[in-house]
Amino acid sequence: MLEIKNLNVSVEDKQIIKNLNLKIGPGEVHAIMGPNGSGKSTIAHTLAGKPNYLVESGNVEFKNKDLIAKDPYERSLLGLFLAFQYPIELPGVTNASYLKQILNAHRKSRGENPIDAGEFLKILKEKSKNLNIPMDMHSRFVNAGFSGGEKKKNEVLQMDLLDPSLIIMDETDSGLDVDALKSTSEAVNKLRDGKRSFLIITHYLRLLEYIEPDHVHVFSDGSIIESGDKSLASRIDNEGYEVK
Amino acid sequence: MNSASSLDCLIEISEKISIQNTSDTIKIDCSNDENNPIIDIEIEKSKINNRIYLVCNENHDIKATINIQIHDNATLVFVDETNYGRTTDITMNTAMRPNAEFELYRFNKFNVSTKNSFVHNCDLQSNCIFRDFNFSNGSKEMSNITKISLNEKNSKYIGSGVVIADSTNCKNQLDISHMSQSAISDCSFKTVSRGKSNVTFKGKVFVDNDCSDTVSSQISKGLVMSDESKINLTPILEINNDDVVCSHGAASGKPDDTVLFYLASRGIEKRDAEKLYMQGFLSEFLNKIENVQMQSKARDYINQNC
Repeated sequence: MLEIKNLNVSVEDKQIIKNLNLKIGPGEVHAIMGPNGSGKSTIAHTLAGKPNYLVESGNVEFKNKDLIAKDPYERSLLGLFLAFQYPIELPGVTNASYLKQILNAHRKSRGENPIDAGEFLKILKEKSKNLNIPMDMHSRFVNAGFSGGEKKKNEVLQMDLLDPSLIIMDETDSGLDVDALKSTSEAVNKLRDGKRSFLIITHYLRLLEYIEPDHVHVFSDGSIIESGDKSLASRIDNEGYEVK
Repeated sequence: MNSASSLDCLIEISEKISIQNTSDTIKIDCSNDENNPIIDIEIEKSKINNRIYLVCNENHDIKATINIQIHDNATLVFVDETNYGRTTDITMNTAMRPNAEFELYRFNKFNVSTKNSFVHNCDLQSNCIFRDFNFSNGSKEMSNITKISLNEKNSKYIGSGVVIADSTNCKNQLDISHMSQSAISDCSFKTVSRGKSNVTFKGKVFVDNDCSDTVSSQISKGLVMSDESKINLTPILEINNDDVVCSHGAASGKPDDTVLFYLASRGIEKRDAEKLYMQGFLSEFLNKIENVQMQSKARDYINQNC
């Protein structure tokens, strides 16, 4: 699914990612844990193609294609989804209109016609119900005035709508209370189908107690310094990042 | 094509002026003076809204003075959806008697190589409401001047202007004079400037010294979409009374790259992401248009021209 080889990335002339190697197979859930400033979010944004994140060397293959050579929108159309730590507000555009537009962008890339209004409403109702999202949220402007929980649920709704092959979750647990964390995690777990892969970036064990990873990697100073199974996350939670 | 119904009054300006569907409550006189045609409109109270559509021949230069008098308790909805292909020079003078309501909607596209001017002077007496919405793309030399005088208490002006410029120029001036107590003005201006456009907005709010209990809000925002385009927003407040609530704000800048990246990360191409961004930016104040049909037209105008 995804293979990162010897990746070096700099942002504003400062090297953040140093010789990163990571391989994620179909259906696998990988978690990256690390302290503040270790470069975790830089991986997420580099994979999604954020401008100004300069890949100095190395390569990334996604579905056997050169990911780095593609524009950000092409990466999404190829099946990569980044759930933002801080979802962006888009005043003046209703959530329903936005969701329909992103869905149609993906349909267009598959050679399908734009979705019929009635069919879209049916899908939106069904998926919103699964996430306990009230329909009136979709008549509000995208993420504007949404609570932290609503924003994260809206990210999960987009994952569900776009049906990606690889989901990168950048500190999805930040800003969520216990109940919101639980319901968001349950929604994400419903998307685990044995084929779809996940890369979960987090500081804490608590998210990984709900979304159980197959592999855990500890990140420090731009590189993976240790890998293991879920027990590694528990050890980090007990001992902290300082003690290895 | 305009969206007038068979019941609406039509004023057609071409080589000559012609009027269709006047009623007991809409009286129109016009002088077909070649050099300066004058249209005098009088509006009386009606059980249903009086509606007038202005239809101008896009293949002619248009010069006209439109004088509107809206009598006590009368209402008027005035709509202009013309795509102007030639030079225009239109002056509108409106006098609103007590309790009158006036809605003016202009959804216009101009030829980028023409010179166009619109001047509106509007006087409001007590308890009048004037809702003024203008959507334009500018032209080679476009001037849009509105002067509002809130002459008596409890008069209210709600105005919103949208300019979607694409290598055009557009000079906008809005003067609001609070000349009596307890009057309200609420105006917003938004523009997107593309190509080699130059858009200016000068919004002045004047509050006279005996105008206590005044409420005034003015906000202007611009989105610069190219390196060669310019936006200049100038709010001016002249307040001569302490018992007022007046606010103003002006901001312009380029699109937020973070937002464009967010949209790209959802599969939206750059061109479409910018379009969506502009549509959202310009639609922020559409809820000020209470008339559902006109709000829909405004949304369509923005979506079609971004």
